Amino acid sequence: MIRVVLPYHLRTLARVDGEVQLAVEGAPSLRSLLDALEERYPMLRGTIRDHGTLNRRPFLRYFACAEDLSLEPPDSLLPAAVTSGAEPFLIVGSIAGG
Amino acid sequence: MKQPAPDHTGPDAPSGRDLSTQEVARYSRHLVLPEVAMEGQKRLKAARVLLIGAGGLGSPLGLYLAAAGVGHLGIVDFDVVELSNLQRQVLHGTRDLGRKKTASASDRLRDMNPEIEITTYEAQVTSANALDLIRPYDIVIDGTDNFPTRYLVNDACVLLGKPNVYGSIFRFHGQVSVFSPPAGPCYRCLYPEPPPPESVPSCAEAGVLGVLPGVIGSLQATEAIKLILGKGDPLIGRLLLYDALEMQFREVKIHRDPHCPVCGESPSITKLIDYEEFCAGPAKARATAGMPAEITVEELKARLDRGDDVDILDVRNAEEWILCHIDGATLIPLTELPARFKELDAGREIVVHCKTGVRSAKAMTLLLGAGFRNVKVLRGGITAWAQKIDRTLSGY
Repeated sequence: MIRVVLPYHLRTLARVDGEVQLAVEGAPSLRSLLDALEERYPMLRGTIRDHGTLNRRPFLRYFACAEDLSLEPPDSLLPAAVTSGAEPFLIVGSIAGG
Repeated sequence: MKQPAPDHTGPDAPSGRDLSTQEVARYSRHLVLPEVAMEGQKRLKAARVLLIGAGGLGSPLGLYLAAAGVGHLGIVDFDVVELSNLQRQVLHGTRDLGRKKTASASDRLRDMNPEIEITTYEAQVTSANALDLIRPYDIVIDGTDNFPTRYLVNDACVLLGKPNVYGSIFRFHGQVSVFSPPAGPCYRCLYPEPPPPESVPSCAEAGVLGVLPGVIGSLQATEAIKLILGKGDPLIGRLLLYDALEMQFREVKIHRDPHCPVCGESPSITKLIDYEEFCAGPAKARATAGMPAEITVEELKARLDRGDDVDILDVRNAEEWILCHIDGATLIPLTELPARFKELDAGREIVVHCKTGVRSAKAMTLLLGAGFRNVKVLRGGITAWAQKIDRTLSGY
């Protein structure tokens, strides 16, 4: 199972508490993981990726294993540690409170 | 625009930077640290640091930087101390309620360390004054509480070549980094655009753990002191993520964006812009310019087919509705809309349409003005829908 950590406002929208665990068939890529996430939680469509282009929203970033995956091509395979569930896939949003 | 008149308090600027007997006693725990010692403490005394914001983050920042002996602290804030601040803004006390935060902060920090110089600016940071405010300082610390000011501070720091010690908080979460191009990315490299207004609630709406700014502000203060000392490994090119509920710190690498509009190879932002407009979101910006955010009938059909959560608002008259309408739409005639906003959910995406697009553009302006943020106009209205999507509908 792949562990996904959502920013707070998307957890609220998806009505989840804590990490999301997803099973992705085959060799999981950024695209297939996000597809699976949106299939499980349709209310997240358009919040992480643009509705039309499916490009990442510019106020969110993807991280895993301490690396920034935000600019990786959508079909890039996820790190093995993420696929195995050892490390989470982080979707981090900008916050502005001070 | 005239720069806000600074209010100086404290002794004259240090000359010679030598430490007095009093200062040696005050900073003795620093002086025995080989990484600080006399040379480092003199560096701190000679340093000029600007705190933007004297609130949650500004509180630990001000206290620890003053206590550490940073020789010149600038503090920018335009707000007054309110009761709801005191749950986390430990720079201020109950007796300061109603006072300007700059005055309250200055008094508290002067009490903390009368050896340092403090300059307060009772002003809002704007595109007109940001460069003048920041220019005299070595390091800027972002303790602001809104996206427009964060982008403004970032851009001003990049343009002036000043390191920006960044921290932000929300509920139980915090983020910290040091933005210092070209050594690392800037804020825009990380987040090129802010989230749409109202899509992410503010701390006032969603809350913030009172101790959270204490953690994040203290980390920012640590980074500022390291930069001044030239010791350790600064958080340049790294983003620290803090989750107070999980009590977990995560560190991730962040990189410069060669296409960054302000610090990239061919920057398009070479002077400060209108940050309120920049952060207002494309929908509002386009509406302001008379160009409503639009969705085509094909796009709407595709989204409905895949089950997207979209509300369709028809602002035609009841008589037109009888002639034809889109299944699932809600009818609120344009003339009745202002009185019936409560029937709509401002948290949901709304696609508004009329016959061809004129009334829906007006409706969108009304909705945006009423605080709705995720609103689009259906291009061509129901006329286009009847022509391209549902030919069973009767045109009129």
